[in-house]
Amino acid sequence: MLKAHGAIKSNWMSVRKKFPIRLAAGLLLAILIDTALQLVWKSAVLSLPDDGSAWLNVQAVLHDPLFVFVILLMACQFFNWLMILRNADLSYAQPVTSLSYISVFCLSVLYLKEAVDLIQIAGIIIVLAGVWFISQTDHVTQSEEHEA
Amino acid sequence: MGQTAIGVFLVVICTLLEGVGQVFLKKSVLGAVRWYLWISFGVVILLLETVIYSHALRFLDVGAAYAISSLNLISVTFMSRCLLRERVTRTRWIGVCLIFIGVGLVVARA
Repeated sequence: MLKAHGAIKSNWMSVRKKFPIRLAAGLLLAILIDTALQLVWKSAVLSLPDDGSAWLNVQAVLHDPLFVFVILLMACQFFNWLMILRNADLSYAQPVTSLSYISVFCLSVLYLKEAVDLIQIAGIIIVLAGVWFISQTDHVTQSEEHEA
Repeated sequence: MGQTAIGVFLVVICTLLEGVGQVFLKKSVLGAVRWYLWISFGVVILLLETVIYSHALRFLDVGAAYAISSLNLISVTFMSRCLLRERVTRTRWIGVCLIFIGVGLVVARA
Protein backbone atom coordinates (compact mmCIF):
# COMPACT_ATOMS: atom_id res chain seq x y z
CA MET A 1 0.00 0.00 0.00
CA LEU A 2 2.78 2.38 1.01
CA LYS A 3 4.75 1.28 -2.05
CA ALA A 4 1.78 2.06 -4.34
CA HIS A 5 1.32 5.45 -2.66
CA GLY A 6 5.03 6.17 -3.19
CA ALA A 7 4.78 5.21 -6.88
CA ILE A 8 1.75 7.49 -7.39
CA LYS A 9 3.54 10.37 -5.64
CA SER A 10 6.64 9.80 -7.75
CA ASN A 11 4.57 9.76 -10.97
CA TRP A 12 2.77 12.96 -9.90
CA MET A 13 6.12 14.68 -9.19
CA SER A 14 7.35 13.62 -12.61
CA VAL A 15 4.20 15.07 -14.27
CA ARG A 16 4.63 18.30 -12.24
CA LYS A 17 8.25 18.56 -13.37
CA LYS A 18 7.33 17.96 -17.01
CA PHE A 19 4.33 20.28 -16.87
CA PRO A 20 4.46 22.85 -14.01
CA ILE A 21 1.10 24.07 -12.68
CA ARG A 22 1.90 27.73 -13.39
CA LEU A 23 2.63 26.92 -17.05
CA ALA A 24 -0.46 24.70 -17.35
CA ALA A 25 -2.64 27.47 -15.87
CA GLY A 26 -1.09 30.07 -18.20
CA LEU A 27 -1.65 27.92 -21.29
CA LEU A 28 -5.24 27.14 -20.26
CA LEU A 29 -5.90 30.84 -19.68
CA ALA A 30 -4.35 31.69 -23.07
CA ILE A 31 -6.65 29.18 -24.79
CA LEU A 32 -9.71 30.49 -22.91
CA ILE A 33 -8.93 34.15 -23.65
CA ASP A 34 -8.20 33.40 -27.32
CA THR A 35 -11.49 31.52 -27.62
CA ALA A 36 -13.45 34.35 -25.95
CA LEU A 37 -11.61 36.90 -28.08
CA GLN A 38 -12.49 35.24 -31.35
CA LEU A 39 -16.14 34.65 -30.46
CA VAL A 40 -16.65 38.17 -29.06
CA TRP A 41 -14.85 39.65 -32.08
CA LYS A 42 -17.10 37.71 -34.42
CA SER A 43 -20.26 38.80 -32.55
CA ALA A 44 -19.02 42.40 -32.56
CA VAL A 45 -18.37 42.33 -36.32
CA LEU A 46 -21.79 40.78 -36.96
CA SER A 47 -23.42 43.61 -34.96
CA LEU A 48 -21.94 46.29 -37.26
CA PRO A 49 -24.35 48.13 -39.57
CA ASP A 50 -24.36 46.50 -42.99
CA ASP A 51 -24.29 49.66 -45.11
CA GLY A 52 -20.71 49.29 -46.36
CA SER A 53 -19.53 52.68 -45.11
CA ALA A 54 -16.05 52.38 -43.56
CA TRP A 55 -16.39 55.62 -41.57
CA LEU A 56 -19.72 54.57 -40.03
CA ASN A 57 -18.14 51.23 -39.14
CA VAL A 58 -15.24 52.98 -37.37
CA GLN A 59 -17.72 55.14 -35.42
CA ALA A 60 -19.75 52.05 -34.51
CA VAL A 61 -16.56 50.31 -33.35
CA LEU A 62 -15.60 53.19 -31.07
CA HIS A 63 -19.05 53.27 -29.45
CA ASP A 64 -19.59 49.52 -29.14
CA PRO A 65 -18.85 48.12 -25.63
CA LEU A 66 -18.07 44.76 -27.25
CA PHE A 67 -15.01 46.25 -28.97
CA VAL A 68 -13.84 47.76 -25.67
CA PHE A 69 -14.15 44.24 -24.24
CA VAL A 70 -12.12 42.88 -27.19
CA ILE A 71 -9.31 45.37 -26.47
CA LEU A 72 -9.38 44.43 -22.77
CA LEU A 73 -9.13 40.73 -23.69
CA MET A 74 -6.21 41.48 -26.04
CA ALA A 75 -4.33 43.23 -23.22
CA CYS A 76 -4.94 40.28 -20.85
CA GLN A 77 -3.80 37.89 -23.60
CA PHE A 78 -0.60 39.86 -24.15
CA PHE A 79 0.49 39.90 -20.48
CA ASN A 80 -0.48 36.26 -19.97
CA TRP A 81 1.53 35.34 -23.09
CA LEU A 82 4.63 37.08 -21.69
CA MET A 83 4.18 35.08 -18.46
CA ILE A 84 3.98 31.84 -20.48
CA LEU A 85 7.12 32.75 -22.44
CA ARG A 86 8.98 33.21 -19.13
CA ASN A 87 8.20 29.58 -18.28
CA ALA A 88 8.36 27.76 -21.60
CA ASP A 89 10.01 27.60 -25.00
CA LEU A 90 8.28 29.59 -27.73
CA SER A 91 8.32 26.45 -29.91
CA TYR A 92 6.46 24.60 -27.11
CA ALA A 93 3.88 27.21 -26.06
CA GLN A 94 2.80 28.41 -29.52
CA PRO A 95 1.66 25.00 -30.85
CA VAL A 96 -0.13 24.10 -27.59
CA THR A 97 -2.24 27.27 -27.75
CA SER A 98 -3.49 26.05 -31.15
CA LEU A 99 -6.03 24.12 -29.06
CA SER A 100 -8.06 27.34 -29.22
CA TYR A 101 -8.83 26.50 -32.87
CA ILE A 102 -10.68 23.45 -31.53
CA SER A 103 -12.52 25.29 -28.75
CA VAL A 104 -13.57 28.09 -31.13
CA PHE A 105 -14.76 25.51 -33.65
CA CYS A 106 -16.77 23.56 -31.03
CA LEU A 107 -18.39 26.70 -29.59
CA SER A 108 -19.17 28.03 -33.08
CA VAL A 109 -20.94 24.75 -33.87
CA LEU A 110 -22.81 24.77 -30.54
CA TYR A 111 -23.78 28.43 -30.25
CA LEU A 112 -23.47 29.97 -33.71
CA LYS A 113 -24.97 26.83 -35.30
CA GLU A 114 -22.19 26.54 -37.90
CA ALA A 115 -22.08 23.40 -40.03
CA VAL A 116 -19.65 20.58 -39.28
CA ASP A 117 -18.29 17.81 -41.50
CA LEU A 118 -16.13 14.70 -41.18
CA ILE A 119 -12.97 16.38 -42.50
CA GLN A 120 -13.16 18.97 -39.72
CA ILE A 121 -13.60 16.25 -37.09
CA ALA A 122 -10.54 14.47 -38.55
CA GLY A 123 -8.68 17.79 -38.32
CA ILE A 124 -9.57 18.12 -34.63
CA ILE A 125 -8.30 14.59 -33.90
CA ILE A 126 -5.03 15.35 -35.76
CA VAL A 127 -4.56 18.61 -33.79
CA LEU A 128 -5.09 16.72 -30.50
CA ALA A 129 -2.53 14.11 -31.58
CA GLY A 130 -0.08 16.92 -32.42
CA VAL A 131 -0.53 18.57 -29.01
CA TRP A 132 0.05 15.16 -27.36
CA PHE A 133 3.36 14.85 -29.25
CA ILE A 134 4.39 18.37 -28.15
CA SER A 135 3.48 17.56 -24.52
CA GLN A 136 5.96 14.66 -24.63
CA THR A 137 8.87 17.09 -25.13
CA ASP A 138 10.60 19.22 -22.48
CA HIS A 139 8.81 22.55 -22.09
CA VAL A 140 12.03 24.48 -21.74
CA THR A 141 15.43 24.08 -23.44
CA GLN A 142 18.11 23.17 -20.92
CA SER A 143 21.41 25.06 -21.15
CA GLU A 144 24.50 23.25 -22.46
CA GLU A 145 25.94 22.93 -18.91
CA HIS A 146 22.80 21.13 -17.72
CA GLU A 147 22.85 18.76 -20.65
CA ALA A 148 26.49 17.81 -20.12
CA MET B 1 0.18 38.87 -60.38
CA GLY B 2 -3.42 37.79 -59.79
CA GLN B 3 -5.56 38.93 -56.85
CA THR B 4 -5.34 35.54 -55.13
CA ALA B 5 -1.56 35.40 -55.57
CA ILE B 6 -1.21 38.86 -53.98
CA GLY B 7 -3.39 37.73 -51.05
CA VAL B 8 -1.36 34.53 -50.54
CA PHE B 9 1.90 36.52 -50.76
CA LEU B 10 0.70 39.00 -48.10
CA VAL B 11 -0.44 36.21 -45.74
CA VAL B 12 2.93 34.45 -46.13
CA ILE B 13 4.67 37.76 -45.27
CA CYS B 14 2.41 37.87 -42.18
CA THR B 15 3.54 34.40 -41.08
CA LEU B 16 7.19 35.53 -41.31
CA LEU B 17 6.40 38.69 -39.31
CA GLU B 18 4.61 36.56 -36.70
CA GLY B 19 7.77 34.44 -36.31
CA VAL B 20 10.03 37.49 -35.93
CA GLY B 21 7.59 39.32 -33.60
CA GLN B 22 7.25 36.29 -31.31
CA VAL B 23 11.03 35.82 -31.21
CA PHE B 24 11.37 39.46 -30.12
CA LEU B 25 8.78 38.95 -27.33
CA LYS B 26 10.59 35.83 -26.16
CA LYS B 27 13.90 37.74 -26.19
CA SER B 28 12.34 40.37 -23.93
CA VAL B 29 11.66 37.81 -21.18
CA LEU B 30 15.06 36.10 -21.45
CA GLY B 31 16.71 38.73 -19.27
CA ALA B 32 18.14 40.60 -22.24
CA VAL B 33 19.61 44.06 -21.73
CA ARG B 34 17.13 46.70 -22.91
CA TRP B 35 14.25 44.22 -22.76
CA TYR B 36 11.83 47.12 -23.35
CA LEU B 37 13.27 47.61 -26.85
CA TRP B 38 12.71 43.93 -27.71
CA ILE B 39 9.14 44.11 -26.44
CA SER B 40 8.45 47.38 -28.28
CA PHE B 41 9.83 46.08 -31.58
CA GLY B 42 7.89 42.85 -31.08
CA VAL B 43 4.62 44.74 -30.58
CA VAL B 44 5.31 47.01 -33.59
CA ILE B 45 6.02 43.99 -35.82
CA LEU B 46 2.85 42.19 -34.66
CA LEU B 47 0.78 45.37 -35.26
CA LEU B 48 2.30 45.66 -38.74
CA GLU B 49 1.34 42.03 -39.31
CA THR B 50 -2.28 42.83 -38.35
CA VAL B 51 -2.40 45.72 -40.83
CA ILE B 52 -0.97 43.59 -43.68
CA TYR B 53 -3.32 40.71 -42.80
CA SER B 54 -6.35 43.02 -42.93
CA HIS B 55 -5.13 44.20 -46.34
CA ALA B 56 -4.71 40.58 -47.50
CA LEU B 57 -8.37 39.90 -46.70
CA ARG B 58 -9.31 42.20 -49.60
CA PHE B 59 -7.78 39.67 -51.99
CA LEU B 60 -8.53 36.39 -50.23
CA ASP B 61 -11.44 34.55 -48.70
CA VAL B 62 -11.28 34.61 -44.86
CA GLY B 63 -11.25 30.78 -44.65
CA ALA B 64 -8.33 30.56 -47.09
CA ALA B 65 -6.38 33.32 -45.31
CA TYR B 66 -6.98 31.66 -41.94
CA ALA B 67 -5.82 28.29 -43.30
CA ILE B 68 -2.63 29.75 -44.81
CA SER B 69 -1.91 31.63 -41.59
CA SER B 70 -1.62 28.29 -39.78
CA LEU B 71 1.85 28.36 -41.40
CA ASN B 72 2.60 30.60 -38.36
CA LEU B 73 3.29 27.40 -36.44
CA ILE B 74 6.03 26.31 -38.84
CA SER B 75 7.48 29.83 -39.05
CA VAL B 76 7.57 30.31 -35.25
CA THR B 77 9.08 26.85 -34.64
CA PHE B 78 11.72 27.34 -37.34
CA MET B 79 12.70 30.78 -36.00
CA SER B 80 12.74 29.52 -32.39
CA ARG B 81 15.20 26.86 -33.54
CA CYS B 82 17.41 29.20 -35.59
CA LEU B 83 17.26 32.50 -33.70
CA LEU B 84 16.64 31.40 -30.09
CA ARG B 85 18.57 28.10 -30.29
CA GLU B 86 15.64 26.22 -28.74
CA ARG B 87 15.93 22.44 -28.77
CA VAL B 88 13.29 21.38 -31.31
CA THR B 89 13.35 17.59 -31.25
CA ARG B 90 11.90 15.30 -33.91
CA THR B 91 8.91 14.61 -31.61
CA ARG B 92 8.19 18.35 -31.38
CA TRP B 93 8.43 18.72 -35.17
CA ILE B 94 5.98 15.82 -35.61
CA GLY B 95 3.60 17.54 -33.18
CA VAL B 96 3.92 20.89 -34.97
CA CYS B 97 3.33 19.32 -38.40
CA LEU B 98 0.29 17.37 -37.16
CA ILE B 99 -1.21 20.53 -35.63
CA PHE B 100 -0.51 22.43 -38.87
CA ILE B 101 -2.32 19.78 -40.94
CA GLY B 102 -5.17 19.50 -38.42
CA VAL B 103 -5.73 23.25 -38.16
CA GLY B 104 -5.62 23.46 -41.96
CA LEU B 105 -8.40 20.84 -42.21
CA VAL B 106 -10.53 22.54 -39.53
CA VAL B 107 -10.31 26.10 -40.80
CA ALA B 108 -10.13 25.55 -44.55
CA ARG B 109 -13.83 24.68 -44.55
CA ALA B 110 -14.84 27.36 -42.03
